[in-house]
Amino acid sequence: MKNKKHIDELFKERFQNLEVSPPARVWDNIEARLNQKKQDRKVIPLWWRVAGVAALLALLFTVGNAIFNVKDSLVLVNEETDQPQDETIKQPLLKIKTKDKAPETTKNIAVEHPTLNTTKDKVEKTQQQLSTFKANEAISKMVREESNVNEAVSSNKERFVNPSEQTSNAVANTIGDKREKPSSVSDYNTQQSSNLKESSANTIKEGVASTNVNTIKESSKTPINTQSTKPDKALIVQPVDTSKMKTVIANEEVNVKDTENTNEVINPVTTSIFDAIQEQEKIKHEEAIAQLKPKVDNRWEVAPNFAPVYYNSLSEGSSIDASFSDNSKSADVNFSYGVGVSYAISERLSIRSGISTVDVSYSTGGLELGEGPVSSALKNVDYNRSQIVTIPLDRGTFAAQNSGGGLDNVSLKSTNGDVFVNQNINYYEVPLELKYALFNSKLGVSLIGGVSTFFLGDNEVSVSAGSFNETLGEANNLTNVSFSTNVGLGFDYKFSKKFKFNVEPMFKYQLNPYTDSSVSYQPYILGVYTGFSFKF
Amino acid sequence: MTLEALIQGCKRKEANAQSELYKRYSGVLFGICLRYSPNRTEAEDNLQDAFITIFTKVEQFKEKGSFEGWIKRVTVNTVLQKYRKKRVFEIKEESQIEDVGEEEVFDEGFPLDFLLKIIQELPERYRLVFTMYVMDGYSHKEIAEMLGISDGTSKSNLARARGILKIKVVAFKK
Repeated sequence: MKNKKHIDELFKERFQNLEVSPPARVWDNIEARLNQKKQDRKVIPLWWRVAGVAALLALLFTVGNAIFNVKDSLVLVNEETDQPQDETIKQPLLKIKTKDKAPETTKNIAVEHPTLNTTKDKVEKTQQQLSTFKANEAISKMVREESNVNEAVSSNKERFVNPSEQTSNAVANTIGDKREKPSSVSDYNTQQSSNLKESSANTIKEGVASTNVNTIKESSKTPINTQSTKPDKALIVQPVDTSKMKTVIANEEVNVKDTENTNEVINPVTTSIFDAIQEQEKIKHEEAIAQLKPKVDNRWEVAPNFAPVYYNSLSEGSSIDASFSDNSKSADVNFSYGVGVSYAISERLSIRSGISTVDVSYSTGGLELGEGPVSSALKNVDYNRSQIVTIPLDRGTFAAQNSGGGLDNVSLKSTNGDVFVNQNINYYEVPLELKYALFNSKLGVSLIGGVSTFFLGDNEVSVSAGSFNETLGEANNLTNVSFSTNVGLGFDYKFSKKFKFNVEPMFKYQLNPYTDSSVSYQPYILGVYTGFSFKF
Repeated sequence: MTLEALIQGCKRKEANAQSELYKRYSGVLFGICLRYSPNRTEAEDNLQDAFITIFTKVEQFKEKGSFEGWIKRVTVNTVLQKYRKKRVFEIKEESQIEDVGEEEVFDEGFPLDFLLKIIQELPERYRLVFTMYVMDGYSHKEIAEMLGISDGTSKSNLARARGILKIKVVAFKK
């Protein structure tokens, strides 16, 4: 088979559809790398989860704090509305029972003016009614009239007060009682009033009627009863126990006068007294709240800080050149310093920011140096010089490429000692963090979580080999504004209420430090931020 | 498993779909890698890289085109990327390329191993240009773009590659 062929055809025929099964180790390696990738992928979500949990905790503390405070104040309000009600109701009632309608009782009871006036009107009406009665009319008639009055009273009560059925029943009962024993008018009166008091007391105890209801009952009942007894005194000679009645009437007359007077004169005062009580309660409430929520006196705090920072990557990879990704790298310890301000939201939780300057750097080893034109040099570096520049290469590149015939215009630069490429980056960092105090005694421990914005300052890529040092230029793949997520612990020692010493180990994971997404360099910053802080 | 199901499985990162995809296409792709790489070991490495790229970028595959065409392109790009990374340095000015003249050769049933060996022995850029142009049907314009060189450089590199290969083929029988 010796036909002539174009050389292209010779190869095309044989290779175009060539299938060669690769050795099994290729798939094994692929599988291993896929699994590793999965793990790599897990690293970031795990980190995100940690950051997320920190953020969530911070949020929960904030919200929780707010809720707890609201709850406390709600409880206080309830207690307040309960207790004073009981007191204002019970106290006057007790006084009524013991002192029997002493003027003070009305003083303590808030009476609405219109209702009082209408009851007064009623009283006047009954007086007029009674005065029209002829003097020689029989007691029985009087009694009937009186029962009318009482009915009026009860209807009166119903109209103004709308009391529970129980009270009206009680009134009806007393009326019934009175009918059974028409002779003992005065007894009835006292009995009735006491019954009413009891019934009203009961209703109050059961919580059916309000304070106002009771006071109206009292005020309406008192005058009417006394008024109704007045004609008794004038007309009735027969009644069983005149002396007893007289005293009762006398007492009641005085009381009526007193109550009327006090009602008229003291009513404005009573409301003001009630107001005063309310005010007192308010003050009490506020004091209680103040006790529950200790005042955060000095909310602002300023804290200059200084930190040794360690810059390294979570993954292999190189920000300088992809071919250096598997080279040895060593992170350097640099420094960060700045000033922070923090604002205490509550005693435990504070939000803080500030500004600091951060220097980070790392060096890549396992290299050799060549010299050649910029076009053959590192793509991620903007060289200071435009012609022949120093080119760091993966160690062994020369040997490999020379055998392949490349590298003609790059000459090996002889160096004494190991070659390193150093990347130095300066950032201005503006953090926004929440700090939650776990322990707030003299020695404090707190959790810190948040984000930082990094503004790119100067940066420099340089090479060093033994005594040889040269700055190549600036890296061109750094983002001008990048972010990090931060978590850390804070320890502090309080010298005084306003002055303390802080030590805060922080871990900051940079989210987008490089514009080139293919750079699989995932740097983080580890720093121990120390400093004093002052509250003001 | 239909091809579509296979692709969907790979998009969901299912291990059995990935394994099946490898079984189906590793032969073809290894063939490509062999002629783009300077030796068998690097070809294996490149095949690995190509599959990793395929598995990670399979979401980007649009159902419209040929899947085989797509994975072949991904493979070629992966390999090229690697050699681009290694910085293919300018070798000679175009004027220095001498005309090799006659491009016809007698096909004497050369063993495949031999042909592969002489391709792999070509200088990096010659090898890439030759295999892209001759076997994968890329135009000089495409090659120039993909390798970051000029059309002229691509053409001269191809001529130079042909010349070297011819010398070696002719020398074979001796």
